[in-house]
Amino acid sequence: MAGMCCEVNLAETETSATVQPSSRSARRRGMEIHQFKFVHSDSAVAPPHSGSGKRKRQKFDAVVPVLPLRESEIRRDQLSGEVEPEAKQLRVSVQPAAAAETKPEVAPDYPKFGMTSVCGRRRDMEDAVAIHPSFSGPNPNFPDGMHFFGVYDGHGCSHVATTCRDRMHEIVKEELEAAGSSSWERTMCESFLKMDKEVGSCSSGRVGSCCASACRCELQTPQCDAVGSTAVVAVVTPDKIIVSNCGDSRAVLCRNGVAIPLSVDHKPDRPDELNRIQEAGGRVIFWDGPRVLGVLAMSRAIGDNYLKPFVISEPEVTITERTAEDECLILASDGLWDVVSNETACGVARMCLQSRKPPSPPRSPGSDMTVTAAGESSDKGCSDASILLTKLALARHSTDNVSVVVVDLRRGC
Amino acid sequence: MSTSPPQSLTYLTHAINEGDTFERFFECWLVEQNKHLDELVSASKEVDAADRGALRPLVKRVVQHYEHYYVAKARWATADILAMLSPSWRSSLEDAFLWIGGWRPSMAFHLLYSKSGLQLEARLHELMQGLRTGDLSDLSAAQLQQVDALQKETIRKEQEVTEKQAEQQETVADTSMVELALAMTEGVDAPDEGQSRVDAALAPKQDGLAVILRMADQLRLDTLKKVIDILTPTQAVHYLIAAAALHLRIHEWGKKRDARVAQNVTTHNIEEDSA
Repeated sequence: MAGMCCEVNLAETETSATVQPSSRSARRRGMEIHQFKFVHSDSAVAPPHSGSGKRKRQKFDAVVPVLPLRESEIRRDQLSGEVEPEAKQLRVSVQPAAAAETKPEVAPDYPKFGMTSVCGRRRDMEDAVAIHPSFSGPNPNFPDGMHFFGVYDGHGCSHVATTCRDRMHEIVKEELEAAGSSSWERTMCESFLKMDKEVGSCSSGRVGSCCASACRCELQTPQCDAVGSTAVVAVVTPDKIIVSNCGDSRAVLCRNGVAIPLSVDHKPDRPDELNRIQEAGGRVIFWDGPRVLGVLAMSRAIGDNYLKPFVISEPEVTITERTAEDECLILASDGLWDVVSNETACGVARMCLQSRKPPSPPRSPGSDMTVTAAGESSDKGCSDASILLTKLALARHSTDNVSVVVVDLRRGC
Repeated sequence: MSTSPPQSLTYLTHAINEGDTFERFFECWLVEQNKHLDELVSASKEVDAADRGALRPLVKRVVQHYEHYYVAKARWATADILAMLSPSWRSSLEDAFLWIGGWRPSMAFHLLYSKSGLQLEARLHELMQGLRTGDLSDLSAAQLQQVDALQKETIRKEQEVTEKQAEQQETVADTSMVELALAMTEGVDAPDEGQSRVDAALAPKQDGLAVILRMADQLRLDTLKKVIDILTPTQAVHYLIAAAALHLRIHEWGKKRDARVAQNVTTHNIEEDSA
């Protein structure tokens, strides 16, 4: 069994390796906003942030994998900016199991997941990750809970990504409560639009509560208008996976060993996106890869006011019925996808999940993580998978921030 | 393993007393680094799992060797800070990659990720099955997070020192300097008096540069030690191998290149002369 997986993986590894060099550098460049002035119709487009801001980078990786009660506590110290999120992050892989143990009645279907988010070979950290199990609170429609996973990859500065991290799940929750019987598509589109508005209102000077962060652009207009973020959000319910995406972060489902992308990257040269941009009166210019107005290398994003209406914040939403063959869901920023194919990522993740059922490797006398019951070991599996994927991205010379979330979808493990 | 001289520490004491140059010290230091590299490489091959503790003294010794380097550098910097900032003992290749007279601290993480990546690609399948490799491919979640945090902190400090360096460098055109330059151009002073005024004007600038260099070197050494502290002894050995190999080889390539360029210049001049 393991041997078979190995073979499959090897092949995938080689295939993806041949694809990498061009796409890797191209995508990497894609995340940088180009610095040149551009005048379109009657509006002068402000030069994007020069990157010489005085403020230092914020830390953005924070996960709140705890029950709603404690969530507010933790969020408060995050906002104060004094807490080292690393310490929290450290707890991430450990906490779910612990939380599930202590309060099983509140979170009966506690998801198993692993998360890794590192600066990698970049000097700035612009990725942000949000994980909120049972984020919607007690909901008669979903007694077993709905879980929220979001990966945001900022560009220009980090504050749009951090604002998404801090607010998106709350907005989605509000929309769900207000939605009544409206569809998931509608709910998620509304949520993304609201998120975009919130980010936009920050940048137009009406400082809201979301602007507490001190980022290098200092939330000054006009630079602030040239800041945005990707957003890939997965809401996992007992029977469905709802993925909403803006930009080039990606969600991939691993089902019975097969990699199924649940989002399609918004690249400006995607034929339908190209059409949409041109019909809106915009242009895609090849300047170090295809870019909207020659500036932004993705066609949808939260923020980026100055590129509206060509760059939109409306997500594409996919709804996938969960099956017994589902193994895991991977959400990641392009720091991973630029250098690791969907197939390889799935192969690595499922291998980690499958092999973590009490392994007794002969070479692991000094193992620092103990593998106990099957339930907990799969948590370790997710955590190992996210770490290994991150390390693999770094090994393959990813030059971007790397953020990876792996969610275990197997039933009854 | 023999501990015969010249060792950097022995040499350090000796050289300072004898008024020797930093260049001589550096050459001895490199010889010793080469020896350490050999020891590290053979240790990485020989030591089995049961014997990992035995690597600690070796790691400690190698890190101490780096410490000696910075002690020596600080001593010589008090004598001639400018020489330390444009080190003649480095090749022009190395010069091109210097940050305030030495290696850039954030480079330590690229070194780690590169070496870790090479080892990871080699053992990916073992790792996927949950096996432990023990080398740098096996960085745990906790280690990766510590490295990431240290990297962010290091970049922040690196930027702070860079800012301070900028402020210091800008003082080269402050009023006193400009005034003095104009005065000397107009020749109002007697030559002797002029020189003493120049010395007096440059002294605080050099002191300022010395402070910056001290901060930069401190950050370099701190970063190295903190990375080593995060790693297991086996991982530290692999890391130190990569560090030493990169340092020694770049030095070697640079020196060869400089020699080749010098050779070409000479040949060219001879050809011109004879033409």
